[in-house]
Amino acid sequence: MSRGDPAAGRRTQGAMLLVVGGTALWLGLTDASLAYVRAALRPALAASGVVLLLLAAATLRAPTAPATAAGADPAGRGPAAAGEPAGHAHGGRLGAGWLLIVPVLVLLLVAPPALGSFAASRQAPRAGGAATGAFPPLADPVDGAVPLPVSEFVSRALYDEHRSLAQARVRVLGFVTPGDHGGYRLARFNVFCCAADAEAYEIDVRGDPTPRKADQWLLVEGRWLPEPVAGGMQPSSRRPVLVAEAVTLVRPPADRYEHNLYGV
Amino acid sequence: MAPTEDGGVPVAQVDSPVRPATGEPAGRPGGLLDARLLLLLVVLALGSRSLLADAVDSPALQTWSTIFVSIAIQALPFLVLGVLVSGALSALLPPGWLARALPGRDVVAVPAAGLAGVVLPGCECASVPVAARLRAGGVRPAAALAFMLASPAINPVVLVATAVAFPGRPAVVVARFLASLLTSVVVGLVWSRLGREEWIDRARVRLVEGDTRWQSFSQTVREDFLQAGGWLVVGAMAAATLQAFVPRPVLDAVAGNHLLAALCLGLLAVVLAICSEADAFVAASLRQFPLDARLVFLVVGPAIDIKLLAMQVGVFGRRFAVRFAPLTFVVAVACALLVGRWLL
Repeated sequence: MSRGDPAAGRRTQGAMLLVVGGTALWLGLTDASLAYVRAALRPALAASGVVLLLLAAATLRAPTAPATAAGADPAGRGPAAAGEPAGHAHGGRLGAGWLLIVPVLVLLLVAPPALGSFAASRQAPRAGGAATGAFPPLADPVDGAVPLPVSEFVSRALYDEHRSLAQARVRVLGFVTPGDHGGYRLARFNVFCCAADAEAYEIDVRGDPTPRKADQWLLVEGRWLPEPVAGGMQPSSRRPVLVAEAVTLVRPPADRYEHNLYGV
Repeated sequence: MAPTEDGGVPVAQVDSPVRPATGEPAGRPGGLLDARLLLLLVVLALGSRSLLADAVDSPALQTWSTIFVSIAIQALPFLVLGVLVSGALSALLPPGWLARALPGRDVVAVPAAGLAGVVLPGCECASVPVAARLRAGGVRPAAALAFMLASPAINPVVLVATAVAFPGRPAVVVARFLASLLTSVVVGLVWSRLGREEWIDRARVRLVEGDTRWQSFSQTVREDFLQAGGWLVVGAMAAATLQAFVPRPVLDAVAGNHLLAALCLGLLAVVLAICSEADAFVAASLRQFPLDARLVFLVVGPAIDIKLLAMQVGVFGRRFAVRFAPLTFVVAVACALLVGRWLL
């Protein structure tokens, strides 16, 4: 296969589109994408996969090689192509496009896990909390406790003027990150778009004497330990405290991230 | 439907007449990865799924690969949208129509192009290939660049996301719109005065000419996707590296000083390379910073970040990017502070 052969170049382009499109379609149709992006993006991923696969089919099946205008400038398209070096005006080359194989290979070979305690430990404590301090009432308890996302627990604990968490028995699901004094924290990432914008929310868990391994998923039932609010709305490095009454080891959920606007 | 990944792919074109490689310097290492090798690689990877999962057990490396893959996946649909638009621009509009439709003088054309950014509902990954195609289609560079800067920040999707992230504070949405538009217009006008045509590497945008509209559409989409996508991968790697190896508290620590805080959040926006549809939520959570510093974050991010820098190098050339990126950064910070002082 000669190197400068446009047909070969186009085949390579088509193969790359096939690979990327197939990967996008697979991510769009399965839960595999949940470690990286929020579920709402899946239809768009699947659609872009279909577009790329159609494009790959068109590229691989192109009857003759209408490769490119080898430097020729279509009349009226402006001065853009006037000094076009012929080697570049030539289509059918993968160029920087071959880099697209890197995320595909990382995805397949490494299968990177959802962000966990290491990534959480690298972030400063979230300030969290809706700006207005007005929260809707808590949901009704289910089996004796109110199920709450970690990010909502943190936001209500730090910013709710009406202290809706006081007196309520709550149930939160998260993974373990090591704490300061031998204790541990229950953490969860809140993701708006993709894992690059993930923000860690953490709760200090007290009253559980059992040592827990980092990244172990736990369902913790207990009560908020109200602390005096320090100086207005200034965020602090405090994390809200949950006094555990019951701790259960659980399997991680399919979507390990929260997508909660209370986290804002 | 396309051939499946495990069979019968390299069949087409095997016996097609090989075009003379006009102007092709002999022996360029273009066929480094050819179709069969590529597919073989992927089939092998499919067969050995998660092979390296245990080998990559360093949490820092795992975090890096998660963030890298996430940025690439998240950007993909927007990139596809962008290249579909750029394909439609070059194939469906009559040649020269755009250049004629826009006012001839930059003073009018640049603000018009900036405002036109409202119509492209995507994040910044979509706007780079579209701008390159606009310019190749005869639109004045300053106008194409203004469109590129404005569209990821002022389109309805991003503005709604901003409104959701800052409940009860419509001023933030207005300020973001105005500051981003102002940034695009100022950068466009400065570029029209001082920018030189030869800084843009024209060869980067491959002109295509198909026999039919469909052919030129699909070729444009293909070329633009592969090129912009490749550089997007470079940018995603850089952003993941900075996120995984530079601790956020280092950047978060400088919240006290007003100007310093603004500069810091500007740099943070460059480093994090967050999609413009999500950055408002991150900005909202950076509560230790004053509001106008957070506006800087919102205005800088869609205009210039590490991922965009890589894409601009790839699409417009290095000589362009080393001038355009600092200019954009400075103007964006200044515009955000100005509008922030006025509105927030």
